[in-house]
Amino acid sequence: MKLTSMIPLAISSGLTQALLFGVVNGCIYILLATGLNLIFGVMKLVNFAHGELLMVGAFVAYQATTIAGLNPYFSILVSMASVALIGIALEKFAFRRVRGTEKLNEIFISLGLIYVFENLATLLWVENYSIQIPSPLVGLSIPLGDVQLSYDRILSIVIVIIILVGLVLLTKKTKIGLAMRATSQKSDAAMLMGININKVYTFTFAVGAALAGAAGALYGIILNFNPTIGALPTIKAFAIIILGGLGSIPGAVIGGLLYGIAENVTGYLSNGTWQNAVAFALLIVVLVIRPTGLFGEKGE
Amino acid sequence: MNKRLVAVVAIVIIVVAAFVALWQLNVFAPAQTIKIGVVAGMQTVEGQDIDRAAQLAIDEINAAGGVWVESLGKNLTIEKVLVDTVDDAAGSTAGPVTRAITDQSVDLLIGGATTAGTLNGQIPAIQNRVPYIITGASFNLVTRRGSLPEDNALYIDDAEGMSYMFHYCTTIADYSTTVAHFLADDVKTVLDDTYHFDASRKLRLAILYRDDGYGRGVRDVTASIIADDNLPIEVVANVSYATDATTYQSPLISVKESSPDAVYVAGFTADTAEVIKEGINDVGLNSLYIAVEICEDPQFYALLGETGSFQILESKIATQWQGDTWYLEKVGTYVENYMAKFDGKVPGMLGADTYDAVYIAKSAIENAGTLDKEAVKNALEDTDMPQSLIIMENERITFSTGTNYHEILPKTFIEQLIWNEGELQPYVVYPKTMPGIEGNFRQQTFFPPMEYEPGSP
Repeated sequence: MKLTSMIPLAISSGLTQALLFGVVNGCIYILLATGLNLIFGVMKLVNFAHGELLMVGAFVAYQATTIAGLNPYFSILVSMASVALIGIALEKFAFRRVRGTEKLNEIFISLGLIYVFENLATLLWVENYSIQIPSPLVGLSIPLGDVQLSYDRILSIVIVIIILVGLVLLTKKTKIGLAMRATSQKSDAAMLMGININKVYTFTFAVGAALAGAAGALYGIILNFNPTIGALPTIKAFAIIILGGLGSIPGAVIGGLLYGIAENVTGYLSNGTWQNAVAFALLIVVLVIRPTGLFGEKGE
Repeated sequence: MNKRLVAVVAIVIIVVAAFVALWQLNVFAPAQTIKIGVVAGMQTVEGQDIDRAAQLAIDEINAAGGVWVESLGKNLTIEKVLVDTVDDAAGSTAGPVTRAITDQSVDLLIGGATTAGTLNGQIPAIQNRVPYIITGASFNLVTRRGSLPEDNALYIDDAEGMSYMFHYCTTIADYSTTVAHFLADDVKTVLDDTYHFDASRKLRLAILYRDDGYGRGVRDVTASIIADDNLPIEVVANVSYATDATTYQSPLISVKESSPDAVYVAGFTADTAEVIKEGINDVGLNSLYIAVEICEDPQFYALLGETGSFQILESKIATQWQGDTWYLEKVGTYVENYMAKFDGKVPGMLGADTYDAVYIAKSAIENAGTLDKEAVKNALEDTDMPQSLIIMENERITFSTGTNYHEILPKTFIEQLIWNEGELQPYVVYPKTMPGIEGNFRQQTFFPPMEYEPGSP
């Protein structure tokens, strides 16, 4: 029997289908987690409002699509740019002011930002509280055995891959990327080597925010959203970066896929009741066995 | 000097005396109003609808002269006190309701959307003996908590306090009965004819529900109705999903494996729309999906889009009625006034309940002749008004007593959504007739969706 003819059979099993959707759904979380990983890895900054940037990204993309008439996939770029600018403002006028002080100050700022963003979004978009970015590809899908993969979901996977490749190139092949890596390993030494830490931090936060913006735009194309969607993705993103290892992009990818699979397979086997619990239990197990995460590096 | 001093003192005394006299006459006090607390989660589309509908009713009543209060010998206007429960979740309601009662001294409460939120939000109203016309919360527990076992966490040992609760909303039993009979009477017949099933074959029903009190209530009540009414339906799957879920492929895969003829979705607007879209577009579960009446909201139609064509929506008010004339003139007037007042927004289901509830409150206060809460409560119990926006079994609005405590007798119906001219349009497919509506209420017969696949025999 040819391998290709076995694929429909394999995908016909409910468990395999749950695995497939776990991979697909994990992609957006990978993007969000990578951005968070970048910020945490370079700046050692805990930003609990990272998921709110995803939410803002979704709404910006929605506005760009419905008001400016942009194709939703082009609106991803608008989203990334807008949320990057917001990220720059947050870093400069909020987090930088408390850098070097108690860690709690950073945490409280990020917690406060959650409410600011959520309430602002509610105020601005109260008339359309639960919405979805209209996609020209809605209803179109590719059959894979007994399930279908929508064009939107396929495109989201492709876009995530492109963005991640771009990020790897940025961090490995550019000066600023080198500076970011140096700062993430030893910020004092990086400063002594002439690296402008402030610029690196601002750039890092902007890139991390842009990734959240892209995740938000993709989220809004695939799923309906509202101003309160930011909280759960933040928690999942933290779980993913801890699972995959701080500072590791491959770790965020693998962690995101593992998390998505665990979540979906558990949802399939336990009717959704234990979904979140098992996914976090997986995190605990990995940390017990390997405290730095799957691909974690020891840093500062 | 002495004369001047005496004159100044005299003037001061006169001014103070005049001020005190005017104060005693309540000249400076704000005019008395009837304060109605509107319980609405303003972060939800349902809550916004409740708020708008209440405002419409209040403005109409005030424009017509207000509410006659015999004991005061005058008409009073209604003042809306928004009790914003944010997302109407269980943890969000008790605080705002308490503040409305203690700080703003509301005379009466109207609203409440979710079961979980209302069960918590009603507690301060029960404790403070404030009449509360609950216009949402399909779980009938909101008026029957005293009948629970004492060890049940929701049990309330305060019969008098519970007597202040009134449920102007269809219950899970009301609409699940309609759904179950529609499946048994119409859907099974069509499927048997179309796919040449044996008449003895039971219709295969999967229930996909939110993992909360409401969803579990739908699951349990539907099973009871099927058993009690001896309907030819077999529940082949009961699958839950987490209330904070954003994707539903996994539970849908479980549902698909049970090979159902129909999927009864017990969810709210956003999650039901997502379930149906993922079921059809991702999981390939080309079944007949039934959404419950809370989805009778323009945002549900917008979120569902063309994917929702030929799917089913159980409802109690057709705010997007497709026809040359409205099935009830009052409904047409309400929709037109609502759209005119709120920039073309189409009203939803919960708003309709709330609109009626404001008029019920007006009637009760006028019948009581006072704002005394106990008297208003007693007057609410004696409510007997012509039906308004919601069709009633006996064409009258009355609240029951006894074991069906303070509930109404609503009639619900089934709509099939058809994608036409770039929008989803609802058409009534069941039942054929309705009380108080001349001729046929049904607009077309039910037929399965284009890509429909029945369950395996």
